[in-house]
Amino acid sequence: MAPPGTSFAVFFGLCGAGIVAIWLAPERMQARVLAWAGALAALALGWSGAAVLAGSGHSTWTLWSVPSLGPVTLAADPLSGLFLLVTALVYLPASIFLASALPRLAPRYRLRGFGGWYLALLGAIALVLLAADVFTFLVAWEVMSLLCYLLVVYDHETETHTQAGYLMLIMGEAGALATVLGLLLLAAHSQALDFAALRSAAPGAGAGLRWAVFLLTFFGFGVKAGLVPVNPWLPRAYTAAPPAFVPVLAGATLNLGLYGILRVNADLQPVVSAGPGLVALIVGTVTAILGILYATTENDLKTLLAQSSIENAGIITVGMGAGMVFGASDQPALAGVAYVAALYHLTNHALYKTLLFCGCGTVEGQTGTRNLDRLGGLIHGLPWTALGFLAGALAIAALPPFNGFVSEWLTLQSLLASAALAPTGVKVVFALCGAVLALTAALAVTCFVKAFAMGFLGISRSPEAAAAREAPRSAGFATALLAISCLLLGVLPTYVVPVLDRTIQPFSGSSAIAAIVPPFFAGTAHHADLPPAFVADFRALGAQVGQTVLPGPGLVLMHRGGAANPVVYAAAPFWLAVVLVLLLALTYLFVRLLVGRRRHVVRQPCWDGGLRRLLPEMTYTATGFSNSVRVIFDAVFRPTTVEDTRESVARHFRTAIRRDREEVYLIDRAVLFPLRNAALGLAGMLARIHRGRLNTYVTYVLLALLAGLLLSAWL
Amino acid sequence: MSPVEIDRQLRARWPAAGRESAGAQPGTIALSCPPPHLPEVCAWLFSEADCAFAGLVVEENTDTWELRHLFHGRAGPAQVQVVARQALPQKEFPSISARVHAADWQEREAEDMFGVVFAGHPRLGDFILHDDAWQEGVEPMRHRFDAQTPVEGRRPKPDWRPRRIVEAEGAFVMPVGPVYGGIAESVHFQLETVGEDVIRAFPRLFFKYRGVEKIAEGKPAHEALLLAERFAATTAFAHAVAFSTAVERIAGAEVPERARRLRVLLAELERLRHHVGVIAGICESTGLVVATSQAAILEEELLRLCGKLTGHRYLFGLASPGGLSRDLEDAACRDAVQAARDVVRRLNGLEDLLRYSSSYLDRLEDVGVIARSDALAHGLVGPIARASGQDCDLRRAQPYEAYDRFDFDIPVEHEGDGYARLRVFFAEARQALRLMEQAASGLPGGSVRSPCPPTAGATLSWIEAPRGAAYHWLRLDGDGRVVRYHIVPPSFINWHGFHLAVERFAFQDFPIILATLGLSVAENDR
Amino acid sequence: MSPWLLKGLGTRVKTTRYPALPETTAGVSPGLPAGGPGAGELIARCPTQALEAVDGGIAVDHRRCIHCFRCVRETAAPLAWRDGFEWSGVAAGPASQPLGDEYERSIHILVMDAGDCGACLHEVRQLNNPYYNMHRLGFFITPTPRHADVLLVVGPGVDHLRFALEKTYQAMPTPKRVVAVGACALTGGVFAPSFVTGPGVAGVIPVDVEVPGHPPPPLAILHGLLVAVGRRPPVPLVSGPVAPETEVTA
Repeated sequence: MAPPGTSFAVFFGLCGAGIVAIWLAPERMQARVLAWAGALAALALGWSGAAVLAGSGHSTWTLWSVPSLGPVTLAADPLSGLFLLVTALVYLPASIFLASALPRLAPRYRLRGFGGWYLALLGAIALVLLAADVFTFLVAWEVMSLLCYLLVVYDHETETHTQAGYLMLIMGEAGALATVLGLLLLAAHSQALDFAALRSAAPGAGAGLRWAVFLLTFFGFGVKAGLVPVNPWLPRAYTAAPPAFVPVLAGATLNLGLYGILRVNADLQPVVSAGPGLVALIVGTVTAILGILYATTENDLKTLLAQSSIENAGIITVGMGAGMVFGASDQPALAGVAYVAALYHLTNHALYKTLLFCGCGTVEGQTGTRNLDRLGGLIHGLPWTALGFLAGALAIAALPPFNGFVSEWLTLQSLLASAALAPTGVKVVFALCGAVLALTAALAVTCFVKAFAMGFLGISRSPEAAAAREAPRSAGFATALLAISCLLLGVLPTYVVPVLDRTIQPFSGSSAIAAIVPPFFAGTAHHADLPPAFVADFRALGAQVGQTVLPGPGLVLMHRGGAANPVVYAAAPFWLAVVLVLLLALTYLFVRLLVGRRRHVVRQPCWDGGLRRLLPEMTYTATGFSNSVRVIFDAVFRPTTVEDTRESVARHFRTAIRRDREEVYLIDRAVLFPLRNAALGLAGMLARIHRGRLNTYVTYVLLALLAGLLLSAWL
Repeated sequence: MSPVEIDRQLRARWPAAGRESAGAQPGTIALSCPPPHLPEVCAWLFSEADCAFAGLVVEENTDTWELRHLFHGRAGPAQVQVVARQALPQKEFPSISARVHAADWQEREAEDMFGVVFAGHPRLGDFILHDDAWQEGVEPMRHRFDAQTPVEGRRPKPDWRPRRIVEAEGAFVMPVGPVYGGIAESVHFQLETVGEDVIRAFPRLFFKYRGVEKIAEGKPAHEALLLAERFAATTAFAHAVAFSTAVERIAGAEVPERARRLRVLLAELERLRHHVGVIAGICESTGLVVATSQAAILEEELLRLCGKLTGHRYLFGLASPGGLSRDLEDAACRDAVQAARDVVRRLNGLEDLLRYSSSYLDRLEDVGVIARSDALAHGLVGPIARASGQDCDLRRAQPYEAYDRFDFDIPVEHEGDGYARLRVFFAEARQALRLMEQAASGLPGGSVRSPCPPTAGATLSWIEAPRGAAYHWLRLDGDGRVVRYHIVPPSFINWHGFHLAVERFAFQDFPIILATLGLSVAENDR
Repeated sequence: MSPWLLKGLGTRVKTTRYPALPETTAGVSPGLPAGGPGAGELIARCPTQALEAVDGGIAVDHRRCIHCFRCVRETAAPLAWRDGFEWSGVAAGPASQPLGDEYERSIHILVMDAGDCGACLHEVRQLNNPYYNMHRLGFFITPTPRHADVLLVVGPGVDHLRFALEKTYQAMPTPKRVVAVGACALTGGVFAPSFVTGPGVAGVIPVDVEVPGHPPPPLAILHGLLVAVGRRPPVPLVSGPVAPETEVTA
């Protein structure tokens, strides 16, 4: 195996070569060339990331020196390796999907720019993940943000798109500013810029510095991650981005915000008190519940998925927060479990969100609309897309045997493990967050039942939906790839967990495998301290059953809550999947045997109460489906409803009843508009110094001169 | 306003309108109104003269259309008929619905059945003969249409869609029926909604249209009586009495006193049974099973009482032109009243229990509210109207049979919600018993039938049926055969106001509101 | 304790003992005219041609009788009258078998209104009241044809509901039976023939069990359902002065 340095060089080389190839390729081949280039680059990146994960330690490369800022350092440790691998796993199918999605941009825009920026973004993401000193990190981050912006507003002819991109840019820069401040505080404390120096100087920092760094970096990186209250740009930008780019936006760039939080607050300057972790926990929970509420009541499929991304980012943050609290409370094993849950969820989200956005892009391309109220019946015209979307929906709704179930289960289990903590206040916060997270999970199921059922099932509610036909094969290929990986990650979690464990071991301090995968399955000798009676009970339960049947480390995923509380919570996703398949097969055989030849199947239209004809306007719309959620959470949405009846000819002969419902996004109401109004107010106040009269300006010059003279005299 | 005053004012305001003979109904003001004046005259009668709109009768004579708008005093004994005539080829008349909204559905019915066009009515068509089942221009009530043979070559509208008036994001039309629920009549509801509450409700009726008015034409009176009795059989006796009264009035026959009192006794017995049935339906719709069973027990006992007293559980075959077709023994009548008294005693016990069931009342109070002004504008009748503050009962306003000699109250409530309607049903059941007791005591002897020879003529007869005011217009020829028979059943009038109760309430309230209204689809559809 | 519980328990048992024991309470059934010796002038009195002159007197076609009582009232020689309520028979044509043994004590019934006047439907509603309690016999009402074994049709099958009736029948899975209840469903009653009503439901869907009456009382409908599941033998639908040759037997 080539050392990681070489593979990274190959990867960057492929990116560059890809950019050149795009520029040289003829127009009609550009999409395909980009797809190939992106796929190859992603493969190279994945290979590099996997090599880093498989290897044991860190690799560092010091490149050229920048005057007065020190050398540019790149380092690859398991954390960055994991994120690199996840990025590659997203970029590969997304690039394949490009082959069918990109040509739709072609008539109005040139594809060369898109291709160049797309590959450059991949390189920039890799640089962010590999950066090992503050300067490199920030430069790579800015380049990445800028490229994201350029790609989001690629379809710039629509004004809402440019406005959304502008908001994204502003908030992104504000976030970057906060992170710069945070990192510079750290650098000032340690008198150096490279991460190794920051790491070693961390234990000496005071409480004030720690909190400042935490808050600045948490909310600064939180902008990219989509956390409340800094996420109003996210739904708008995701909706505005072209369908060719959105999968990468949701699957790869969102992770970078979470990477930043983790890197600073778990690696560079690990948190030592429970406070920051609790902040992360609460922010994550609020993000999750708000995200899913707005997703459930949203009719635009793309915005629905964007709000759902916010929800998932919240869940990941909850996992990270729990990990920070456990780590600060001297519970390394539980911290490990929580971090594994967060990273697992991150991986899963990257995969299934990319899958869902690919499906959404196909739907939009084939029907021309994203409005769930106008879709319906697409399963007839786009069967494979429907199947892929169904897999993604099942995964994101955390239903077994898909991957969402495993990570959501682990997250909730780690919250339940708060019983091991001492302070009551902390336990209460954990309990409340756990309850809200459970509500979020239930709403997520509702949301995706609505998305799938209203979009794909039933009768087509518009002629465009009725006329839709299946997408080109490349889209199907990408979808299939993602769906299968979702299934695999859900059915074989015990192969994934050790990889994640290796990633988080440096900052949780202990191996989580000992707590999650028991030794008699993991084949490692971590658990010398298990009471033998416990082991015997466990064997008696027959939990070992799978060990000799299938090769490789165990099939049962367990969580043991420490020596003081030896309770076992087991989930066996593999067995679940096996039993599910067996149940279906056995039921089918049973019915065939029992009923046999007496079976008489007739295919009939749906029973509709004896109507002469069931028309599309007589079926439930997406608005109707989610209206109960809207009504229950009215206090959150605070809509203004105006109802108006028009009568013609005379009273009682009604011609129309109009009901208009206006609602303003909560974060806009609470954060964006006050800030905007404050800024406008301040600008208004400042504008008063502009009188427009020459005499006033001369007076200002005079005053400035006087002030300068006085200052220099005083100094 | 008294009849004299109305007459005077009509002469003063519209001197061009002449007077006609009201035929078999002395005391009725029959106004011969030129068609352009129709809207003003009718509007004045409805709003200023405190008259209720009873119905619109369209008759096709050899060379003219004859439209008869029927009004009667809400509180007093006035009877007014506004007659408009036009030569047959001109089928356009002005619509009065803009000013008398109660005429809305009557005009739509006339348009579907006769092809008469009402200028100014915004919504003609697709009423009785559904547009997705029939083509235009069928006009079954016209003389040239043969009632016996089915229509060949049907050309329904291929792209029929339900009419939608709600403009809201994500609005859809929720279809209910025609086959729905457990044991329910066939009717189709189009409920426009965005998901939680019903914004607009439209009942698509006349799925059960049997063409009763057309089939009756050409039949002798005693055969048409069967149709009158059986088109809405849960209130069969009331409609049969109304039809018989019309025949008697045309023939000038005097019904014997014994028959009058027995008719009152049986009509009130039917009213009692009907109201107990509605109460059982309300309890069933809210899911209060024990109360449903209790009310159902009482209803079955009343049905058995009817069967024992008269031979048929629904009082079929009793009312006849001239009186009753058979006599009832005095002792049997007293026993029946005693049994009814026992039923009402237990009914009062049930009402007491219901009054203290808060979970039950929660589903009825402030649910399905019909405002008083809306009830007035739509001309609603019966217990529903009386629960919305409309103090109008034909037994008091236009007394018939022996009601003017009996003592009884008209219960009126003002909230107009489901609970108010429930209270009205209970109170009217008690009043029905009171009337039965008065009718059964002091029954004079004598026959129960006078002869009713076939006579030509036309008249309006009316009755306060259990569901409200019912009007029957009958025209016979010299052989005593039906020339024109028009029924305005109370359910037809009240279904028009159905949407007032259901709109703005949630879906789960829909079956309960439907039960509290106690409407009959068969009675409406004829 | 809930007052409803006490009230319910205090009312005790009201249910009829039919079909184990005969039910003879007054008012449970209007009865039917019985064929027998009779004068020919009665035949003209019947408005639905239910009476027919045969050897030895008059035969009554129960399917046509609408309970107008004109053959027994205001006439010097009234027709004989038969109390009771076991009237249901099997439709003419290929004799349909009752549903299998497994349906004997458990069937689901879909009630469809094909234009009825309200009385037959009202009598069907009484089947759920404590006096008749059809649940004890295993008869349940279902709102959807997908779960229904028996389709109970009331009403003459008017034009507007023809399509709905066919659709409902098609939507039921086999095995299924149709029970037509009431004179209107059997022969159209007083409403047929007309431009919207045909001679009964049999013109639209195949009918298996016929329950005459106008309306048939709840016990007669119960008997019809028992015939449909095979717990009671069907009864001839025509009664005459002599054993009719044209009767239809199970």
